[in-house]
Amino acid sequence: MRDIIKMLVVLTVICAVSGFSLALVHDVTREPIEYSRLKFVKEPAVKAVLSGYQNDPIKDRLVIPVGTDKKGKPVKLIVFPAKKDGKTFAVAFESAAGGYHGDIGVMVGVDINSKKLSGISIVSHTETPGLGARIIEPNFTDSFKGKSLDKDLGVSDISALSGATFSTKGVVTAVNKARATLDKYRDKMVQ
Amino acid sequence: MSLAKEFTKGLWEIVPPFRLVLGLCPTLAVTTSAENGMGMGLATTFVLVCSNLLVSLLRKVIPSKVRIAAYVVIIASFVVIVELMMQAYVFPLYQALGIFIPLIVVNCIILGRAEAFAGKNSPLPSIADGLGVGIGYTISLTVLGAFREILGNGTIWSHGLFWDGFEPFTFMVRAPGAFVALGCFLAMINLVSAKLDDRKRRAQS
Repeated sequence: MRDIIKMLVVLTVICAVSGFSLALVHDVTREPIEYSRLKFVKEPAVKAVLSGYQNDPIKDRLVIPVGTDKKGKPVKLIVFPAKKDGKTFAVAFESAAGGYHGDIGVMVGVDINSKKLSGISIVSHTETPGLGARIIEPNFTDSFKGKSLDKDLGVSDISALSGATFSTKGVVTAVNKARATLDKYRDKMVQ
Repeated sequence: MSLAKEFTKGLWEIVPPFRLVLGLCPTLAVTTSAENGMGMGLATTFVLVCSNLLVSLLRKVIPSKVRIAAYVVIIASFVVIVELMMQAYVFPLYQALGIFIPLIVVNCIILGRAEAFAGKNSPLPSIADGLGVGIGYTISLTVLGAFREILGNGTIWSHGLFWDGFEPFTFMVRAPGAFVALGCFLAMINLVSAKLDDRKRRAQS
């Protein structure tokens, strides 16, 4: 009997101490982990769409609550500002729309003052290899550069991919969605 | 036994994975480059030293019937700590090693040293043992990784080694190449130690 109690006590104490210390480490590393995830996963896309900034857009990121999803969970928009002399002159954020097969995630970079696209980059997609997947090629993404977001873009405004109409439309829709987001939250993005 | 002896035995006498043929799964899987091998080795060393120390400190408290369960909890905790730290500060390495970081938990070297050494010895020799075996493992993985990287990718530490037209022997960085490389090293180490034993015997007679 005493043996069993000793086993129980020792194991319980070891597990409790282990749980407690893990919670502590988890707490301490939460911030740096979030930062490095964004840094290594999102930064390449941010770098592709913004240029000429002097700050670290990942470090200066803004989190803007943008309503709730279908299940009532709050949705957050992460905005990466590009600053020169402490002033935000462009922002990058993600937008998504349905392509031919699943959602296409697009990182959109916009110049705040001229409202012109400084570039787009495809972050995630599951389009058909060889056809729709060509949306990641610079030939296609570069054709968005410099386009004004004063009005919605159409497929004819950019060099659409032949044989991949749905994928092209998906990217255009995502950019147009980004336009709506920008109009709605512009004040919060430029602080 | 002196501390130095406990330390050096991990470097040659029982060097994993060649002598102490344990921990083969990560050995085969992550040694596609010298850098990955070294990262894996260092992560394992950290877990090994910490778990050896703790197991040795608690060796009189832990009832022998539940010792394995207690060891596993201790090892798993340190592995999670390593995993979180790697994610926070060396994310590219974390991405490269992927699933094999959490799998350090089931690496037999660590449980093996806890059971065979730390559970029976005092803390200082246990640390020396953990360090020795860990560093031995790190060196082995780095050498194995370098060997495969040079042949399979034509680079070492991501620096190009060969002329432009060099066609890398990509077989070596794939899974079968891991077995071939490990086999070659095992054979070499066995050959060398056979020679050494032979010489020792001759010197005695």
